Amino acid sequence: MIELQGLTKTYAGKHVVDDVSLTLETGEFGVLIGPSGCGKSTTLKMINRLIPLSGGRIILNGDDVNTLPTEQLRRRIGYAIQSTGLFPHWSVAQNIATVPQLLKWPKSRIDDRVDELMAMFHLDPSEFRHKYPHQLSGGQAQRVGVARALAADPEVLLMDEPFGAVDPITREVLQAEMKRVHQQTGKTIVFVTHDMDEALQLATRIALLNGGRLVQYDRPIEMMVTPADDFVREFIGQADLGLKLLSRRWVHQYQRPPSLAHHATLPGLDHCWQLDDAGRPVALEGARLDDGGVTPVKSEWTATPDMSLKEALSRMVWYRVMVLPVIDEAGKLIGEIGMQGVMGIQAEQRVHAS
Amino acid sequence: MKGSTLGVGRLRAASAGNGVLGVLVLLLIGLTLGMGQLEPLFRALFPDLGTPLYSRDSFLNLMLAHIGLVLVSSLISVTIGIAAGLFVTRPVGREFEPMVSSLAAIGQTFPPAAVLAIAVPLAGFGFAPTIIALSLYGLLPVIQNTIAGLGTVPQTTLEAARGNGMSRWQILRRVELPLAMRVIIAGIRVSVIINIGTATIGSTVGAKSLGTPLIAGLVGNNLAYVIQGALLVGLLAIVTDLLFERLERRYSFGG
Ligand SMILES: Nc1ncnc2c1ncn2[C@@H]1O[C@H](COP(=O)(O)OP(=O)(O)OP(=O)(O)O)[C@@H](O)[C@H]1O
Ligand SMILES: [Mg+2]
Repeated sequence: MIELQGLTKTYAGKHVVDDVSLTLETGEFGVLIGPSGCGKSTTLKMINRLIPLSGGRIILNGDDVNTLPTEQLRRRIGYAIQSTGLFPHWSVAQNIATVPQLLKWPKSRIDDRVDELMAMFHLDPSEFRHKYPHQLSGGQAQRVGVARALAADPEVLLMDEPFGAVDPITREVLQAEMKRVHQQTGKTIVFVTHDMDEALQLATRIALLNGGRLVQYDRPIEMMVTPADDFVREFIGQADLGLKLLSRRWVHQYQRPPSLAHHATLPGLDHCWQLDDAGRPVALEGARLDDGGVTPVKSEWTATPDMSLKEALSRMVWYRVMVLPVIDEAGKLIGEIGMQGVMGIQAEQRVHAS
Repeated sequence: MKGSTLGVGRLRAASAGNGVLGVLVLLLIGLTLGMGQLEPLFRALFPDLGTPLYSRDSFLNLMLAHIGLVLVSSLISVTIGIAAGLFVTRPVGREFEPMVSSLAAIGQTFPPAAVLAIAVPLAGFGFAPTIIALSLYGLLPVIQNTIAGLGTVPQTTLEAARGNGMSRWQILRRVELPLAMRVIIAGIRVSVIINIGTATIGSTVGAKSLGTPLIAGLVGNNLAYVIQGALLVGLLAIVTDLLFERLERRYSFGG
């Protein structure tokens, strides 16, 4: 748990962080967001004391960070930054091992940990262990940067625009990976970005800063539904608020049981799934705009319970299907998601996939 | 694919370099030990000279004395130079950086002979004033390159080092010095090469070196002596330079 209490930073009398108070519970993914120069990085760097505080307190799991020896504090906190800051003269394995090495872990434990982290970030150890940072792509380097920050299993992970310098496609892949890693490790994360879509995609809590002040601190969905003021409303962006809402709603919340026999649920939506022996959907009868007949099911237009409604809608539109099969890890049909679901109309019986 | 062809290219260049270096080292040793064998050649080239081969001292002794001068003075300049460079790039010494940098720059505009002329009245004749002059003169490129090399370490790398919990000393030893090493070695290389040349004028104030036959030749109008001294000094400089080049290459990371 991290508590910021009246956190303040002044440079030459100017408050660049002004009386910021918030609490982030263990396991939460907190995102600091706001326009350039609003004090995001400054706030983040005060947590690991790269920048000294001018006022207020920071409590990390019960300890006032100002009372801990600096180096010891920083080894309890993972730190990943834009453009990675990887050590150019060290191999991938050495970079990841930075903090364990400082903590004097035995070599075998370090090696195991490096392998484990490389696997977590889909970096094949036999290929990447001995590569140097200049031999990596931007996305790979960023993964190594995050792996290094996680190496000594820190209590908190601080990330300052870690995906700011990679192309949009790699960025999405890294975001999805970060989300998975957060779920797998249950780490408490403080993440800085100025990209609202990134924040909505990742955050469990969003802190919106403006001119050094905390404007609103809320769950993403609440921030969208009840913005504190016009600045928040504007920052979130009215234009595609609907889509942003969809990006925070998940298929498992709105899916309904699959239709396995013909009956008109809604006019023009009469359809039914054909399954194979293993319960996997093989074909869809009806509900395809191009083709009212029987369409073989393609993996491109299936949905999973943890998919966002935005993604589900995108698939419906692109593949011109009115309803997507929801499948589990084994590919078994466990539900379906159609336009009603996307509109936020919950099925009478909500199917929970957990 | 691209990486491996580049690698092969580099390997080839390196092994070609090895060949050249090997030949030059053999030549240097051969000439130092066997200059006497060339007496007929020098006699043929300079028929007017009574003694066409310098023989007041062995070339081996002169070579060792010369290397000794360079080694001792370089050791002093490298130690003081790196220490000064480190000092002015730490928070405590940062305010001295502009002063030290400009002193280092101005210092290099003095001719070495002038430095020697100042050192003699202070330290007398012989080994000591030469060492002082050479050390002072060799100090400057080392300081400059230490400051420049440490300056090339990216801010993000330093921030990452601090953020990951390295102490100041660990950052210096594990991150800053290795990353600055290529530039620092380039400075040492310049310093040593200059000193190999400059050590010759040490013999004008009585320090034995490869400059001894050279100066004797100039004073006594004996071109053969000049050639013998210059040949060895030149070879020594080239061999040293090639060795430093290889050392520098070891510290290039992805450049
Ligand atoms: N060392 C400093 N001295 C004076 N002012 C500073 C210093 N560091 C930062 N500032 C100011 O503090 C404010 C906040 O900076 P900060 O880096 O926290 O912004 P940010 O929200 O991270 O912005 P960005 O999105 O551009 O990274 C800025 O106005 C900046 O100019
Ligand atoms: Mg910033």
